[in-house]
Amino acid sequence: MSGPEAGRGKRRGRWSHFSAQNVPLLLAFLILAGTVIFYVVLFYASLGRFPGNFELTSTTNSALPLVFATVGQTIVFLCRGIDLSVGGMMDISNSLAAVKMQDGGIGNMVGWSAIILLIGAVGGLLNGLLVAVGRLQPIVVTLATLSIYQGIAIKILPQPGGKIPPGYTAFLTNTSYPSALIFVALLILFWLIFRRTSFGVAIYAIGNDEEAARANGVRTTRTRVGAYVLGGVFAAVAGLFLAATTTGGDATAGDSFTLTSIAAAFLGGTTIFGGRGSALGSIAGAFVLSILISVLFFAGIDPLYQSFYQGLFLILAVVIGTLVGRLVGRKR
Amino acid sequence: MSGQRNRLSSMRLLRTLTPDRRRTAYAFGVAILLFAVGAIVRPGFAEWSSIQAVLTVASFVGFVAAGQMFVVLIAGIDLSVPWVLNASAILLVTSSLGQDDRTLWAVMLALGLGLGVGLINGLGIALFSVPAVVMTLGMNGIMEGLTLGLSNGFTCDACSSSAPPAVRGAVVSRLFGIPADLYLWVGIILLVSFVLSFTTFGRRIYAVGNNLRASYLAGINVRATTVILYMLSGMFAAFTGIALVGYGGSPSLGIGDPYLFQSIAAVVIGGVYITGGRGHYLGVAAGSISLAVLISVLQAMNMPEYGRSIVYGVVVLLVLLLYGRERREA
Repeated sequence: MSGPEAGRGKRRGRWSHFSAQNVPLLLAFLILAGTVIFYVVLFYASLGRFPGNFELTSTTNSALPLVFATVGQTIVFLCRGIDLSVGGMMDISNSLAAVKMQDGGIGNMVGWSAIILLIGAVGGLLNGLLVAVGRLQPIVVTLATLSIYQGIAIKILPQPGGKIPPGYTAFLTNTSYPSALIFVALLILFWLIFRRTSFGVAIYAIGNDEEAARANGVRTTRTRVGAYVLGGVFAAVAGLFLAATTTGGDATAGDSFTLTSIAAAFLGGTTIFGGRGSALGSIAGAFVLSILISVLFFAGIDPLYQSFYQGLFLILAVVIGTLVGRLVGRKR
Repeated sequence: MSGQRNRLSSMRLLRTLTPDRRRTAYAFGVAILLFAVGAIVRPGFAEWSSIQAVLTVASFVGFVAAGQMFVVLIAGIDLSVPWVLNASAILLVTSSLGQDDRTLWAVMLALGLGLGVGLINGLGIALFSVPAVVMTLGMNGIMEGLTLGLSNGFTCDACSSSAPPAVRGAVVSRLFGIPADLYLWVGIILLVSFVLSFTTFGRRIYAVGNNLRASYLAGINVRATTVILYMLSGMFAAFTGIALVGYGGSPSLGIGDPYLFQSIAAVVIGGVYITGGRGHYLGVAAGSISLAVLISVLQAMNMPEYGRSIVYGVVVLLVLLLYGRERREA
């Protein structure tokens, strides 16, 4: 925006583009690495050994619901939206799975998983249509649908209960070895491909400049609706993983994920101003938030203060991100 | 938008209003409509005692929404409302210990807490350009942790105290048959409306909300305005905490939770643009009443929790579709 920079020509432009896209991502991984190191040190200090198979497994399993919820949130963030209904959709998914999969038949589990993903897509479609076609603000639309989805979830499962068959848990979040890392790998693979599809590029384009995107032939309405649909599907997947780790259903268990998914997305360097960020950062952010709980535990911090440190950590991480961004001349 | 051939004088009147005032009028229309629906499905709903009860519930939403509106007017948002409210409620009883002679101090301490949290929120947002969503979300966590930690999970000795009689009286005592709480709300409605409509500070809020850059260039101290507005939001959340303790007699953990989404809904139903710069507290007050009426009607109909939650969301969506749509250029 200022005069002198404009004269430096193309190189400068390229560098600022590169840094705008990658510095936050790099920072997210640095924060993740820092958190992991901190965790390992504290773990060693208190137990006299290094975390092993069990710790890796439980950390991965407990992080997965947030990881999926955050990736969904990220896709919506990228096109300048926000999805507060994530928690409600996870509630529906979680309680429906716990009610319908009880008998443990394979066909039942596969069938209902598919139905639940479809429900996630329909919920996302509703959000997307209201935002893109109805021209309503995402924050209020998803606030209203959050209430609707929470209501549906309570209808499905009025009291915590139901049961997830052990086979389902063993498949999604095996408790004896960290097989769930495969899902993280699949998610990363999905993202690397998705990012390069025309749909993925269109989402970034809308987030950066909607008018320019439209002028260049991006179908903005359709893309935006698609982003919310994906967000809904990811929320449903997150609900399934939550059901698998908790092995039971609770129609309110997903509620907290609305705000934690937003926090994790920000930690991962994605902003609500659209067009900046990546699901890779979000995955890192979600892991950071999950590991942070263990860090606080091993640091001997009273669990009552847990949210204090989480809040402080979130603000500090974003402040540092902003300052680093200013140093490397990021525009926003 | 309104039909050219419409000869109804009320419609003419609506058309002479500015779009913003029209939205405020719509917000009142929705509140009255919901009241009428309540009176039809539930005889006795329109009785004075029932109206009082609904308005009292609405006032608490209205208090929080006043603060929320201030930050939404500059396209911000305050997610730290729930635990600022809760912390203030607990701070009031633990510092006053239910004694009247300590009340003044306790109230000032609780309001000061709200102002302090708002100050930190505002500084983070204005100076460090932390997005409002993150800053206030983080502060909410910080306040939650501090409240739980310092009160030892709400098991401290002083935690079992109840509200001082003076605070209780200021909320539930009756003057000419009307709860004192409603006088407080009318006072706040007048005060906030006055600030918005007739003061330079009010004009500045709209200026910053409409065009941050232009208002900066016009010499408005944007940072100071932002900080003050977040402080106001924190103060109103703390005020609501005090009022709720006065109403209920003693605080509990989680009393602030419903007020986050309700305050945002009231602000939006009240015709305030979530993108800033437009709206008025009169509309927000109507929005708060609409929400309270809706909740009471659904409760009066003995609708189960899931049904209430669903209808609540659907009604908010319908109201938004009615008049909450963005202009193309917005």
